[in-house]
Amino acid sequence: MFQIDFSKVLQLLQFDKRDPLLFGSSLFLALFIGVLLVLFILDKYPKAKFLFLTLFSFYFYYKASNQMIWLLLTMAVVNYGLGVYIRKNSIQWIKRLLMLTGVLANLGALVYFKYTNFILSSISQFNNQPFEALPIIVPLGISFYVFKSISYVMDSYWEFFEEEHSFLDFVLYLSFFPSILAGPIDRATAFIPQLKNNPSTLLTKEDIGKALFLIVMGLMKKYVVADYIGLNLVDRVFDSPLRFTGVENLIALYGYALQIYCDFSGYTDMAIGIALLMGFRLMENFNYPYKAKSIAEFWRRWHISLSSWLQDYLFKPIQMSARSLKIFGNILAVAITFLLCGLWHGASWNFLIWGGLHAFFMIVSLLLKTPRKYLLEKSGLGKLKITGFVQTVIAFHLIMFAWLFFRLPDLNAVKEVLTQMITFFRPAVAPQFVEAYPVITVLIIAGYLLHFLPQKFYGACEGVVIKAPVIVKALIVTLAILIVTQFRFADMVPFIYFQF
Amino acid sequence: MISEKFKAAILKELKLSDFEIQDSTLASQVPGWDSLNHINVIVAIEKEFGVRFKSIEVLKCKNIGDLQKLVNTKLNQ
Repeated sequence: MFQIDFSKVLQLLQFDKRDPLLFGSSLFLALFIGVLLVLFILDKYPKAKFLFLTLFSFYFYYKASNQMIWLLLTMAVVNYGLGVYIRKNSIQWIKRLLMLTGVLANLGALVYFKYTNFILSSISQFNNQPFEALPIIVPLGISFYVFKSISYVMDSYWEFFEEEHSFLDFVLYLSFFPSILAGPIDRATAFIPQLKNNPSTLLTKEDIGKALFLIVMGLMKKYVVADYIGLNLVDRVFDSPLRFTGVENLIALYGYALQIYCDFSGYTDMAIGIALLMGFRLMENFNYPYKAKSIAEFWRRWHISLSSWLQDYLFKPIQMSARSLKIFGNILAVAITFLLCGLWHGASWNFLIWGGLHAFFMIVSLLLKTPRKYLLEKSGLGKLKITGFVQTVIAFHLIMFAWLFFRLPDLNAVKEVLTQMITFFRPAVAPQFVEAYPVITVLIIAGYLLHFLPQKFYGACEGVVIKAPVIVKALIVTLAILIVTQFRFADMVPFIYFQF
Repeated sequence: MISEKFKAAILKELKLSDFEIQDSTLASQVPGWDSLNHINVIVAIEKEFGVRFKSIEVLKCKNIGDLQKLVNTKLNQ
């Protein structure tokens, strides 16, 4: 007779270090189908639906990380409380005091969990003393939900909420499972008003098509391109750069630029698609970033939810306060924003240098803006298509150079890669590499080609999925899952942005 | 309602010959009004109308209409 071993089911639902709950796992697929079913049944009872989604989000967070449910809950209570008091209070200095308390409390939590060991080790290093790391576990996704909390407090202070909302609305915003681990860093002012209209699982044909297209694209980017290139090329080369020629190091760097884009935007595509299947709209996070003609444009296309957050809550306030310094006010705002952007990604000098490099590129571009514009206009080069192409190539290679500091563990490793590229380039190895690793070569070339295709192409593909009959949609999803299974490795490779 | 003087100050700073600006227009929709140029536009408006904004007042503006209202409030004070 068919018997269910409940102890095994219970075991499956508990946190397992070797098998955390990720979007690509079969357990997630099974649980998500269950979630959709419950949401469908509760469709007419929004409060019950939101409560269920919040509880599931907390469960998802536990199953993915086994960490700090209490921290998430405490942050929800504190930030909601502060938000309510800020919005209801009419005395400006009290509002300001509450806002500052909120920002400092959130930053305090982030600094404590993420940067304590970095700060202490830097001090020890400076004093030439031995350092023993404190046993502090960095809660998964903390950088993302702390930033969501700060934007909530600031938006309350700036009076951006048109209507009041409940505690449940806010907890769901903060813990919403598709975006809790790695964003997008959605805004409460965009998410919470959606709840008033009772987001429904009863979607239009267009939304179902869009969501499935995003999920399939996300699965392909992450499990076919990013993981394959990451494990078979990037990790191998960058784990010991001195064992490889300069040209192999360069190919690995091209591979990494594609890997990090596919890994992170793949995650975001899945997050947005999963949210959309439940009737929720999350903010856009990527817009073909390597098509950018300048570093400034890159930041309007890469990790948009973070760059727009930094722009609204850090860059603009500094820029406004330092406006009497004219262009130097802008330079100061750019420098502080990008250095902190680097630090947000992790507590290390490499991330700080990565941020510093982007700041440097932006500042040089800012200082050369007028002569560049003049030259392009006078020479007529500005009107040529080739100029745009050259600008894209230059911007891409600057970004790629900065990725070196992002990917490699320390400055010594960066030095090793650059040394190999300069002193031991050996271009003749490139054809041998292509012959020996055809799958990697095809994936890299196809990956970049697809990235640089006109946007119309993706619109057309999305249109095909939207118009396709249900059976064809099911076939597309099944085919994607089959391809992913072929490419997937025995061990799950965590998303790169989970570490931030 | 966007005044001619207000619109002219913006167009002059951004070196635009003409661009339709309405209350609901966002700064990002105006050619050249990017995050780096933003401060130049704000300073140009302050200079044109002889007013001084507080940081929070500008940060609270959601669109160009809000900025126009802010100028009007300052002028009526």
